[in-house]
Amino acid sequence: MEIGAQRRNTRLIKVTLFLITLVASIPFLWILRDVARMMFAPIVYYDNGVFFTWLKNTSIFVFASMGISVASCITAGFVLAVLDVPFRRFLLFSTLATMLIPITAMAMPLYVMVDRLGLNNTLLGLILASSYFPFGAFLSYLYYSSVLPPDLVGMGRIDGLGDFGIYRHLGIPLSKSLISVVTFFAFVGLWNSYQLPRVLLAEPSKSIMSIGIEVFYGQGTTLIALMMVIPSVLLYLASQRTIARGIFSGAVKE
Amino acid sequence: MIFPYLAFMFFCGIIPIGYGILEVRNPSWVNMDGGFETFIKVLQDFRVGPAIINILFLLGIFVPLMIVTVLVVSLLLDATEFRYNKQMRLLFLIPGLIPVAVAVLFWSAVVGYEVVWDKSNIRWLIGAISFSTGIGSWIVIQYGSLRSISQEVLEAGVVDGCNRFQLAWRLKLPMIGRYIAYMVILLIANTLQIFNEPNLLMYTNMTTDWSPSQIAFGYAFKNADFAGGVALSLIMLIPNLILALLFVLNTDFMKKSKTTWR
Repeated sequence: MEIGAQRRNTRLIKVTLFLITLVASIPFLWILRDVARMMFAPIVYYDNGVFFTWLKNTSIFVFASMGISVASCITAGFVLAVLDVPFRRFLLFSTLATMLIPITAMAMPLYVMVDRLGLNNTLLGLILASSYFPFGAFLSYLYYSSVLPPDLVGMGRIDGLGDFGIYRHLGIPLSKSLISVVTFFAFVGLWNSYQLPRVLLAEPSKSIMSIGIEVFYGQGTTLIALMMVIPSVLLYLASQRTIARGIFSGAVKE
Repeated sequence: MIFPYLAFMFFCGIIPIGYGILEVRNPSWVNMDGGFETFIKVLQDFRVGPAIINILFLLGIFVPLMIVTVLVVSLLLDATEFRYNKQMRLLFLIPGLIPVAVAVLFWSAVVGYEVVWDKSNIRWLIGAISFSTGIGSWIVIQYGSLRSISQEVLEAGVVDGCNRFQLAWRLKLPMIGRYIAYMVILLIANTLQIFNEPNLLMYTNMTTDWSPSQIAFGYAFKNADFAGGVALSLIMLIPNLILALLFVLNTDFMKKSKTTWR
């Protein structure tokens, strides 16, 4: 039999097995669903299901901010580490300095700026204010300055690549593990963010999970901890292979 | 290519700081006359001294403990092919994934409220919470960096007669030096800015003004004295900046792309 046909058959067997197992486990899944409903009912059905609004708001906020911050900070890390950019040291030091400033000092000016843009109490305002991720930018800078040797960049130049070409053909292919790490930490930071959303989102109906769940404190702390941890754990498990491969695996073997 | 990042840096980082510095000059609750004397006036607040002692306690005991623990655990995980390696890293990480607000209540329940209500335990409790929530993510980063050290370099070390301890001390740690420096700066900065842990333990009435960040927050959002709050926050930034400068000047922290280790 052809190898292609064999592979198809194997896939067919796996899918069939999976479907049969799924059908067979319906009673068990049903019990799990009821147990979960009983456990989470006080939270999920609180105040006409406002939980789902928080969940929707959180999803929009986290994924939008994460997309913007990961894309911008990885590119910035590459540029600062590899390309000739004016005021490079100043930009690196500013990145480090802005990371060290307490959020207490930043919250009020950010509130004023967001308010002047007419975005106070909106998810867009929160997304824009939260999309600056200097931790990721500095980590990306450390990564690229370790893995991308000048010789390789020089070879790229000889092959006619411009700045963007070097980023596209060398920077991005080498940054799978970096993207996993930065995405993971951006997600955790945004998912758990507290002080800035607290200042920028005043209305409970526009709130996000980390703020909204405060009303349940003291009633089901362990359950809330579990709910808040699950998405981060799933993301970690999904990205663990690339993280374990090494944050700064090099591009050249000597 | 760097423009989007620079735009965010200016609008979410540099401009707010500049705005804050200008705002410090305005007359406020702590300094009715206005001007930059606000910086001195906030330091004369009777709550600031004890708050700084609390921070020094964390800096003296828990930050070194965190650094040593992160490095020891990462080196141990990297030293052998261990079947439960993944699971162990996840277990270290999980406390850090819980929002601090929930973690404080969680740890209060774990240690028991009689322990929490004992004033002599508060510093230790806050230190323990920041320790348990802080080490996991750094173990992931440092373990990842250790995994990337070239096998050839380590084998050369073994050929030269290094035992496992010497491999770790003489080869692995120097090779991830920049990441260690980054971790040290951020751990110290996070400790200087500690806010959530003591703030969420306020129900004990023992941590109302426990840290300088809490006092700054109190100025800004309880007394509507934004100038005082920013002044204190900026003062707390000074040790961070000095530390960052020391690292920048004394290490190859900001050198451009160099020859890879591989």
